[in-house]
Order: sequence, then C-alpha cells, then structure tokens
Amino acid sequence: MEQTRDHRWVEGAPEGESAPEYDEDGIDLTLLRWMVSLTPTERLQVLQSNVASLQRLLDGRTRG
Amino acid sequence: MVAPAADFLAILRALAAHRVDHIVVGGVCAVLHGAPVTTFDLDLVHNREPENLHRLARALADLGAYYRGRGEQRLVPEESALAGPGHHLLMTQSGPLDLLGTLGAGHGFDALVGHTKVVEVSGIAVEILDLPTLIRVKEETSREKDLLSLQILRRLLQEGGGR
Repeated sequence: MEQTRDHRWVEGAPEGESAPEYDEDGIDLTLLRWMVSLTPTERLQVLQSNVASLQRLLDGRTRG
Repeated sequence: MVAPAADFLAILRALAAHRVDHIVVGGVCAVLHGAPVTTFDLDLVHNREPENLHRLARALADLGAYYRGRGEQRLVPEESALAGPGHHLLMTQSGPLDLLGTLGAGHGFDALVGHTKVVEVSGIAVEILDLPTLIRVKEETSREKDLLSLQILRRLLQEGGGR
C-alpha cells in the first residue's frame, strides 16, 4: 500500500490490521487515540508536563 | 519578568475550595475531553451572580490574581468588573487565568450550564463544556487560531471522545 503523509500506516503493525496515523486533515490519530485512552486526571498531567517542558525550553532560550 | 509556571490543578483547587461556580472552556476543556492540544492558560466562564462573585474574589485573592499586560502595575480584578460580560486576562501565582463573562456569541454561564459534563480530576469535580457545545462555540467565533483545534475536536467527536 502506498504511504502518503496524510495516510501513513503504523510501522510494524500486522498487515491488514494497521490503522492510519493521520486523517485527511493531518490530525495525528495516534496522539488523539492515546489521549482518549487516558483518564481526565492523566490528560491534565500530560498537558501540565508539556507546558512545563516548553517553559523549560523558553527559560533556557532566555538565558542562552 | 519570568511568568509563574502554569499549574492548572492548583487554580482548579482554589476555585473548588471557595465553591466558585464556573465552567472550564478552551484548551484545558479540550484536553480534558482527550484532545491532543497544548495551551498555556486556563479559560473559564464564571457565574456572575453576586454570591458567586464574592467567592470568586476570595479565590482570586488566594491566587494573587492581577491583570496581565499592564507592565509593573498590579491591577487586581474587582467584583463589579467581574459582573460584566467581558473577558479578564489575569496572571496568578499558578499561571495565566482567563475569566470570561461570556463566551462565543455572548453565551453566559446560565446559557452554558445545561451543556456541560463533570469530570473528576485528582479528586476535584470539574465542570467542563461538553464537546459538541465546545465545537459549536468555536464555530461561532471562527477565528483563524481556532481552525486547527476545531478540526481536532471534530475528529475527537468522531472517535467517541467527550463521552
């Protein structure tokens, strides 16, 4: 099966059972389905961790 | 000036401790539904009844809230201002907090409260806008910055998120 950016397939997934990684709008379905699988508490922790990580990058840039 | 690190849970705890009626909207709401997006502030629509404004003012005092973007001025939000339909872009000791008197095409707390769900986050009951309404409100405003998140939210709805 031909792979495009918008319809790539999960690497290593069994043939015939793989799910698209992106939808037609380029939305990353792997991230979306992973987030849906979490509890609200875990989702907020992911967000908090991402914000903290980005903030560390910004702080590093300011000092650099 | 380095902004305080965002701690959404700390703000939600302060609001819960003071029994502030509010609905979480925006990016944090989207994340709590399962959307893989990032945001740097907590947006909420507050109940503008006088009793709730008293409780909100106390919570904001605990959080050390003041208006963002006023230079060195630490202008503290007043209850009378919070009673209006406008937006209050605040900084707190736990990061940015946006209080919205109304959302989208003028929807206040009373209009939105029938379109919410309650999720438990670290032991706190958090009232968030339901996913179809979050999408509808973003469609109403239809700003450039909302287009990407709208696509993500629509896909999330198709995937069964927000239930």
